[in-house]
Amino acid sequence: MQILGIGILTWIVFLPIVAMIFVLLVPKGRETWIKWISVVATGLQVILAAVLLLNYRYDLAGVNTLEGFQFVEKYRWIDVSGVAWFGRIVIDYFLGVDGLSMPMVVLTALISFIGAIASWELPKTKGYYALYLLLDTGMMGVFVALDFFLFYIFWEVMLLPMYFLIGIWGGPRREYAAIKFFIYTLLGSVLMLLVMIGLYFSTSIIDPVTGEKVHTFNMLAMMDPKNYEPGSIFSGLHTTWRYIAYIALFIGFAIKVPIVPFHTWLPDAHVEAPTPISVILAGVLLKMGTYGMLRISFPIFPDGMIKYALPMAILGFINIVYGALAAMAQEDFKKLIAYSSISHMGYVVLGMAALNTQGVTGAIMQMFNHGTITAMLFLIVGVLYDRAHTRGLYEFGGLANQMPKYFGIVIIAFFAALGLPGLSGFISEAFVFLGAFQTYKWIAIFSATGVIITAGYILWTTQRLFFGQLPERWKNLPDINARELVTLVPLAIIVIFLGVYPSPLINLMNTSVNHLVKFVSEMGQAGMQLGILP
Amino acid sequence: MEERFIIELTQSLKNFLPEVSLTVTLSLVILLDLIFGRRFKNIGAFVSLAGLVVTLFFTIKQYGGSYQIFRGMFVVDPYSTFFKFVFLLSAFVIVIFSLQSYELRETSARRRIGEYYFFILSLTLGAFLMAGSVNLIMMYLSLELVSISSYILAGYIKESERSSEASMKYVIYGALSSGLMIYGISLVYGLTGELNIYAINASFLSSGYSPIVLMISLVLILAGFGYKISAVPFHYWTPDVYEGAPITVTAFLSVSSKAAGFAMLVRFLKASFIDRTITLGIEGAWAVIQGLPLTEIVAVLSALTMTVGNIIAIWQNNLKRMLAYSSIAHAGYILMGVVVMQNLGISAMLIYFLAYLFMNLGAFYCVMLVAEKTGSEDIEVYKGLGYRAPFLSIVFTIFLVSLTGIPPTFGFIGKLYLFSALINAKVIWLAVVGVLNSVVSLYYYIRVVRNMFLGDPESGKEPINFSPAHIVVMLILVIPTLLFGVYFTPIVNFAQISVAMFGLR
Amino acid sequence: MLSEFAKVLLFLIIGVIFVAGGLITNRLIRPHKPNPEKSTIYECGEEPIGNPWVKFNIRFYTVALIFLIFEVEVVFLFPWAVIYKELGLFAFIEMVVFLLILILGYVYAWAKGDLEWDKPKPKYLGFEREKREIEEVQA
Repeated sequence: MQILGIGILTWIVFLPIVAMIFVLLVPKGRETWIKWISVVATGLQVILAAVLLLNYRYDLAGVNTLEGFQFVEKYRWIDVSGVAWFGRIVIDYFLGVDGLSMPMVVLTALISFIGAIASWELPKTKGYYALYLLLDTGMMGVFVALDFFLFYIFWEVMLLPMYFLIGIWGGPRREYAAIKFFIYTLLGSVLMLLVMIGLYFSTSIIDPVTGEKVHTFNMLAMMDPKNYEPGSIFSGLHTTWRYIAYIALFIGFAIKVPIVPFHTWLPDAHVEAPTPISVILAGVLLKMGTYGMLRISFPIFPDGMIKYALPMAILGFINIVYGALAAMAQEDFKKLIAYSSISHMGYVVLGMAALNTQGVTGAIMQMFNHGTITAMLFLIVGVLYDRAHTRGLYEFGGLANQMPKYFGIVIIAFFAALGLPGLSGFISEAFVFLGAFQTYKWIAIFSATGVIITAGYILWTTQRLFFGQLPERWKNLPDINARELVTLVPLAIIVIFLGVYPSPLINLMNTSVNHLVKFVSEMGQAGMQLGILP
Repeated sequence: MEERFIIELTQSLKNFLPEVSLTVTLSLVILLDLIFGRRFKNIGAFVSLAGLVVTLFFTIKQYGGSYQIFRGMFVVDPYSTFFKFVFLLSAFVIVIFSLQSYELRETSARRRIGEYYFFILSLTLGAFLMAGSVNLIMMYLSLELVSISSYILAGYIKESERSSEASMKYVIYGALSSGLMIYGISLVYGLTGELNIYAINASFLSSGYSPIVLMISLVLILAGFGYKISAVPFHYWTPDVYEGAPITVTAFLSVSSKAAGFAMLVRFLKASFIDRTITLGIEGAWAVIQGLPLTEIVAVLSALTMTVGNIIAIWQNNLKRMLAYSSIAHAGYILMGVVVMQNLGISAMLIYFLAYLFMNLGAFYCVMLVAEKTGSEDIEVYKGLGYRAPFLSIVFTIFLVSLTGIPPTFGFIGKLYLFSALINAKVIWLAVVGVLNSVVSLYYYIRVVRNMFLGDPESGKEPINFSPAHIVVMLILVIPTLLFGVYFTPIVNFAQISVAMFGLR
Repeated sequence: MLSEFAKVLLFLIIGVIFVAGGLITNRLIRPHKPNPEKSTIYECGEEPIGNPWVKFNIRFYTVALIFLIFEVEVVFLFPWAVIYKELGLFAFIEMVVFLLILILGYVYAWAKGDLEWDKPKPKYLGFEREKREIEEVQA
């Protein structure tokens, strides 16, 4: 599918960059232009995502088969002819979507659009929007790239804008938070870089054009054991190097999720980041970690996945409970939401570790739903902070009468977060538990306590903010305004809609998830049965 | 007999044209400076630029050939020609820097400016000879030519105590390590009776050697090279010299002198200590002659160099000094390419040098401009610079990001290839050390970026403006840094072809 | 049969023994009666004047360096002169080029005043030391 001779995925990825160039060219004193350019560009992205959705074929699986991918674009990007001692180097510009990435593409477009609107009031407009749009390109690129090299480039392109967005527009401890975010993420990605290079040297395919044997960064080729060169570092199944690589990749992605021992950057980053950036961070960036696992770790290292599924499930459990407990202890509204994010991402990890259709479906749904719900939550914090300039939970009370419209929206988001049936959070958590219960009964049961703790802190927060006596100094707090409603209402609608009728989302990913689960478990088991175990 | 000798000489001279043209240029620089220097201050610079262009022309014509000249004193091959391009490019850029340098303009150095360009050119000539020489004496002499030029250049600002101190320290360290090196060379000569590195290799293979004596001489010779490339533990001179010397000279030393050291080191190792009768499984891999733990020595050197360089760089508040330590760290990265003893590693090294050329010169240029406008190289003056000089700050950020090795910059491509070489050779531990070092280096590079952008802009300070000439130079350096980060086919092609050394597989 | 190096080593050992032996026997059999007169520095029987660590004027070095270059040049000129007839024009041109380069350096040094014996006192144009001194005076 092409627009003006350029593939639709290229459009959706590089539209923000084009907009960025326009933003940079806007003369001084025309800040409004900049805002409108950015909002229109991200809005166009949403429209493009909708076009993708309308043309999406639900019967194609993707994952490890090229035919299963849709809207594929594949061009030769780097082509270095071989020399006597080293073969040809080819890198493709290779984009495509399947059921795993489609929900994420839609989510990214949506959240970016809402973030752009929510950024309206921030100072230093030009720099902000330029970086924001660059970030947008990076995020979108990660979700549609099918070449590992390209994936890595997009992954890293996000770092610098994010550093600046937190560091320049953030709160009082922004410098610390920004550098911590940067160093953690870079640490994760350099591990990924090493694995990527190792994979490159291990796999080779026949180049369709010249018939030569070439090494490749193509993810799909890396998923096929036939493409591994005998004697190379990652050949075979269930070898030590493959386990090490799986763990390295896992750590790389886990830092982004974040999974508990690597999570400490997140509360800092979230608390210090400006509202729209928190929204992007929680709504999209965290999902990259889990998406990376589904897209790369699982299909490329199914053996590692099978071997370390149990520890992963335990980590998921720890995330759920630890995140929830930590959230309960917070007095800062934003920090509470940040820890609740950790807890909710735990469900995703648990669902993926279960490695069955329900679990993985639940995980991807949770990724999408958490993206929308947590975006709402951070916007809600932003609304309150903009008015009161404080986030201390104990300083508020009785806001329900003072800000009734706000209260209504907050209640939807809060109940969605605690998993009330009828709202989207419930569906995905239910699926995760359904899946996890089949594989890890006890872990699932223990993890369910997380739901109770979540209910605890959510209800307490509601009580502290909205009920009881309204302190004197908040008597003049205005209710939510139209621009803020524009950002929140669409998300609320999605949350309610998917809570009542989740099938569109499930259908979107169903074929791919089934295929992924089947592929990974068969591949992972195959090695064990063949006795290739070390 | 004599006839043949003369024919040989004329033949050799024909293939020596780049060096000849450099020599002519540097003679012309001082001659014309004597005659016209009073009226046209910058005549030396323009003559140098013209001479460098002519040399470039001869070098391009030379590219691709592979032969030895002057009876095995010197070779011309794609490998040396590649380095000649690097030297020429950096000399060209440095001459342009020098034209704009406030240090050279505002001190007594301006009265000796003709000599300054003379020494820049003689350093380049020395580097040319280093890249091509295959005879130990010739190698030593060319190394000394580079060294002596750099001693003088480092102390060029006479009234600056820092500069004089730098020069003095440089001379003393230089004397020590070249003394060690010549001792090593004499041991090798004693062992084999040969000075030509190919003959040395042949002698090792045919009549054997004592590994212990060889080991000692190798370590001694490595001390000489290590000093030139500022590898730990021979790096002590680097921070002081880099901090004290004029910025233009620092930038020049950090690229040309280092590249020359690497060029000679790799040729020496590959020609002398590799057993070419043995073929290893991997294409393009070399077998080190028996009993010599060459790979291990270089690997440890590399790991030490980058770790020490990076960790000390974290504590530096003077940007020049920080870049000095960072250049030590980069020497460590580049050594990773040597560790694997494969053509792939060498090509990675070459790619890295091209990347390093642009990003490092760019970083020094930004430091120079800021020092000119604010009078200091301290990290404190960078506070709020992002709002006072946005263009420079963005460009500087790109250079720093590239030095860290984050895509989409040329620096990343360089690192990618270095790590690829290591992983292909399965030296995983060093690759892990390398990537961890990248993360460490991020911390101090980003400190500068933080100071530029993250602090609140101080309201009282004036915006800093730059002339179009400054902006053009920045663009010349920053565009390749970004462009080759995204499209690196030509660079890799070039580097892979340039790995070929005369007479070696 | 000793190898070539062993002969050298033997030579070295004997040399060391010869010198060290002489000194040691001296030490053993000589009387030891120091007085202040004896331990002064020997300066042709005269009373020593001033510190032995005299700084030579830097002008000597410049001249010495230039002299050295032309001294070394002769090393190349002699062998060239010996077989000049056999080599012919080519060698002549080569040597002319060589000499021209050297003469250029000589002319440069001359023109820049490095051969002048009476030099004006060097003037500092400012910068660090001056600044510091001025600041110290002011403080």
